[in-house]
Amino acid sequence: MPLYICNAAKGAISNAAKSKIAEDVTRIHCDVTGAPATFVHVFFFEDAPQWSLNGKRALLFGSIRAGRTEAQKKQIADQARHAIHTQADIAADDIVTMIVDTPASWVMEGGDIMPEPGEEAAWLAAHEAKMAQQHAS
Amino acid sequence: MIRCMCVVQAGQTPDKSQAALTEKLNTFSEKAFGQPASVHWTAVPAASGFTAAKPSTSSIVSFTAEQPVAQETRVSLLQDLCDLWTGETGCSINEIVAVINDPQPQ
Repeated sequence: MPLYICNAAKGAISNAAKSKIAEDVTRIHCDVTGAPATFVHVFFFEDAPQWSLNGKRALLFGSIRAGRTEAQKKQIADQARHAIHTQADIAADDIVTMIVDTPASWVMEGGDIMPEPGEEAAWLAAHEAKMAQQHAS
Repeated sequence: MIRCMCVVQAGQTPDKSQAALTEKLNTFSEKAFGQPASVHWTAVPAASGFTAAKPSTSSIVSFTAEQPVAQETRVSLLQDLCDLWTGETGCSINEIVAVINDPQPQ
């Protein structure tokens, strides 16, 4: 978490562009929120009905941990739209972005409940120590 | 029916394993929520999944409860869910993201 789902019209985003958009979205999320890159998942689909395009060429749906400000969410959405526009050559007004909150306490990753925003460093240190201990035993 | 969404990387969960997981997720749902699950599988196409901007091996399993879940209960259920998934697929604990959502407000 976060999970970014990018659904696009068939053939609208090449595999090469997907890789670059994933890099951009990961960087944008980390720059805006301070979260580590290891938390960021970006998955691409084509014409997936569960994330309706509503006549647009691309949709970016982001489910992020609750606690970010509206300004942060707008910054992520605007910059991610620009990344898709630039990397896939899709008109900006043909791209929809949507960011929704999910409480960190509802999500388990790496076997641990996700940290609240701002508590990532302590969580990562504890998680890595736990993994090292399990690996050693 | 309890809604359960599973997102996996294409080719990572063989059909046989998927069928076994569906059965186990149903059993889990009945135990956790008193109802079977409606399990929806979605495969991320090849070369289309990224974690930390690198090719992803992560799967997402997400339940939406019909009643709010107490946090202590949720943590225990999430641990069971992760154990179920890693036990069936053989993936590492770092490759599974498990979510139990409370119901959406009407």
